[in-house]
Amino acid sequence: MGLYCKVLSKSKTVNNKNMNRREAVQRITLLMGGALSAPLMAGIAGEKLNTGPSLSVNPQQEALLAEIADIIIPSTNTPGAKAAGAEKFIVRVVRDCYELEDQKKFYAGVEKLDSDSKEIYGKGFMQLDTEKKNEIVKRSTTYDKPFFLQMKGLTVTAYFTSEIGATQALDYLPIPGRFDGCIPLKEGQKTWAL
Amino acid sequence: MKVVNYQDFKAMAYLNIEAQQANTYDAIVVGSGVSGGWASKELTEKGLKVLMLERGRQLEHISGYENAMKDPWQTSYNGRLTVEQKKTHPFLSRDYPYNEMTETYWMNDSDSMYEEKKRFDWFRPNIVGGKSIMWGRQSYRWSDLDFEGNVKDGIAVDWPIRYKDIAPWYSYVEKHVGISGEKLGLPQLPDSEFLPAMDMYCVEKEVRKRIEKNFPGRSMTIGRVANLSQAHKAALDIGRSPCQYRNRCNLGCPYGAYFSTQSCTLPPAVKTGNLTLRPDSVVKEIIYDKAKNKATGVRIVDSVTLEEREFYAKIIFVCGGAIGSTVLLQNSISDRFPKGLGNDSGELGHNLMDHHFRTGASGEWEGDQDKYYYGRRANGIYVPRYQNIGNDKRGYLRGFGYQGGGSRQGWTRNVAELSFGADFKNELTKPGKWTMGLGGFGETLPYHENHMYLDHSKKDKWGIPIVVFDADLRDNEKKMREDMKNDAAEMLEKAGLKNVRTYDNGSYLGMAIHEMGTARMGKDPKTSVLNAFNQVHSVKNVFVTDGACMTSASCVNPSLTYMALTARAADHAVKELKKKNL
Repeated sequence: MGLYCKVLSKSKTVNNKNMNRREAVQRITLLMGGALSAPLMAGIAGEKLNTGPSLSVNPQQEALLAEIADIIIPSTNTPGAKAAGAEKFIVRVVRDCYELEDQKKFYAGVEKLDSDSKEIYGKGFMQLDTEKKNEIVKRSTTYDKPFFLQMKGLTVTAYFTSEIGATQALDYLPIPGRFDGCIPLKEGQKTWAL
Repeated sequence: MKVVNYQDFKAMAYLNIEAQQANTYDAIVVGSGVSGGWASKELTEKGLKVLMLERGRQLEHISGYENAMKDPWQTSYNGRLTVEQKKTHPFLSRDYPYNEMTETYWMNDSDSMYEEKKRFDWFRPNIVGGKSIMWGRQSYRWSDLDFEGNVKDGIAVDWPIRYKDIAPWYSYVEKHVGISGEKLGLPQLPDSEFLPAMDMYCVEKEVRKRIEKNFPGRSMTIGRVANLSQAHKAALDIGRSPCQYRNRCNLGCPYGAYFSTQSCTLPPAVKTGNLTLRPDSVVKEIIYDKAKNKATGVRIVDSVTLEEREFYAKIIFVCGGAIGSTVLLQNSISDRFPKGLGNDSGELGHNLMDHHFRTGASGEWEGDQDKYYYGRRANGIYVPRYQNIGNDKRGYLRGFGYQGGGSRQGWTRNVAELSFGADFKNELTKPGKWTMGLGGFGETLPYHENHMYLDHSKKDKWGIPIVVFDADLRDNEKKMREDMKNDAAEMLEKAGLKNVRTYDNGSYLGMAIHEMGTARMGKDPKTSVLNAFNQVHSVKNVFVTDGACMTSASCVNPSLTYMALTARAADHAVKELKKKNL
């Protein structure tokens, strides 16, 4: 213990009447000790943080989630939800942020898609062609609307906050450097990711 | 009984004196938030040796802002709380400020539970800087409409100051902090010293014109915000950079572009060489010397080791947040002050206020489909109070202002609920509709019955008695909320917005995080706790300059006023010390 006498690091006086965005980014990256690496964060994100009971999810269930997500947000001229690893986000959120009862309901909904697929087409969801997968998901919008909306919401968030979704499907601008509130919408301008 | 010979006794006494001297300062500042930071800056710059005690942990400027620069895919849950966090933080998890990204800035509710006779949301920070890291940065001056309110309405007690007393101090703090905004020349909302105003969105520019045309006497302006739209000399001198329009202020700003203790008041304080900052220090009580009729110091509990120790000073600035400051006074019990330090009036803990909000309207704007924007503005628009001013008479006292703003919907919008697939995805990659909303912030009157007190039979992790809140919104506030909702809808509809919908999501005291009152300023020691210079009437070397001191609440965000009151009180304190009055 003992008394603290904090002296702030001697920040150089910034003579930056015209400090541009590039310089601002460089300065901050330096002060922050370099870039934060995505793999580091992914490792941390993999840790189990919900200390209560949680359903454990097997690789088959994860793969099924990825396929459902890929129907909701497919590859177009940009990669889809499966390529973006959306199922990882979904599994993590459901595991740590949902109460056990809600986790059970969610995975029951996932299971029902698969069992309906077997009932109607004689095959599991993963074995269907894309058109039939779309049919199964479309059915769920009526017979299991709450599950569909939940799965859709999770998929949309997972995708558009993923690196692929945010930087390829949308326009990603982490450090704008200025604000203009009313400018022409340029040809090819996409929704801002942030 | 241990027998101590004379030599040992002298040695012990000498050690005690030495220890006491090592723990003695000119001033102690309790709290390092908006008010505490300013007190430390002012007092150290005037040559005092200052000990700033903060209950929370150290948070270093820039290097401490662990989430400030993260990309969304570097988070675990994109901001959601875990089940575990909701359990351990039953109060904090009620509202948005506590989330995955700000987790480590807030206190663990479970360490210090409180009771609420009626719902009261108490959001407590746990860092050096206090809430000055997470705050909304909206900054507005009071006017005499506010200071004269109580005496004109015949309620509570009169403020012991007027606008002319605080105006020079507003200027003083604003010149250091940097407030971006636009001059309006409105008597009810005096202009600050301004940095350039931020831009408005297309829909806001249009709605502004129409509100001002359809409702003469009403204005809509850009928010007055403590972000550097331009880095003026005072900012550059302490290493601050202009706002980069990332809108992630509440995570801490690596650019120092908004006001916080870390960016703004700590650097100059540290530069003087007169500051000692001790985080992890829960101040338990003020030590009062009856013979001298002075406070002589404070007793703290180390928040980590739970060891107690004492520090001594000539003056004490209590800036622990409105409730925290009053808890400290209430817990400082002696023969002279059985009901808490300075509580001769019985008003300590009473007249608890906050702003009420979460009601208003929003709608859609069909114009400007060919327009978008660049950057993320960390600010909204503001409609200053117009009720009970001039000919605008209402069925309630006081009034409200509006915060709000417009933008184009992004990828989070609900596009045809049941849609999915390629078309749905492509739709979301294009900007959506323009929308605009107005949300009212209303004044809550000072009611004696709205109060908080300590339950000494229950202690928290640090041995401090727990707080019991007994306060509610009452008739005046409920009537005002009707207008807050309907006026907003009327203005937006007349401005040409479509699908205008009102909302009232319910407001509970504490939720606006502008809690104030409980140790009010006043002219008369029989009906107030503090005098015109924020001194405790009956213990003049104790100053309370944060939200606790407020005699009424106005409808404007209060932190700028705390800054000005603190700087003014510090100036007075040092003058009084020099005259040997303290």
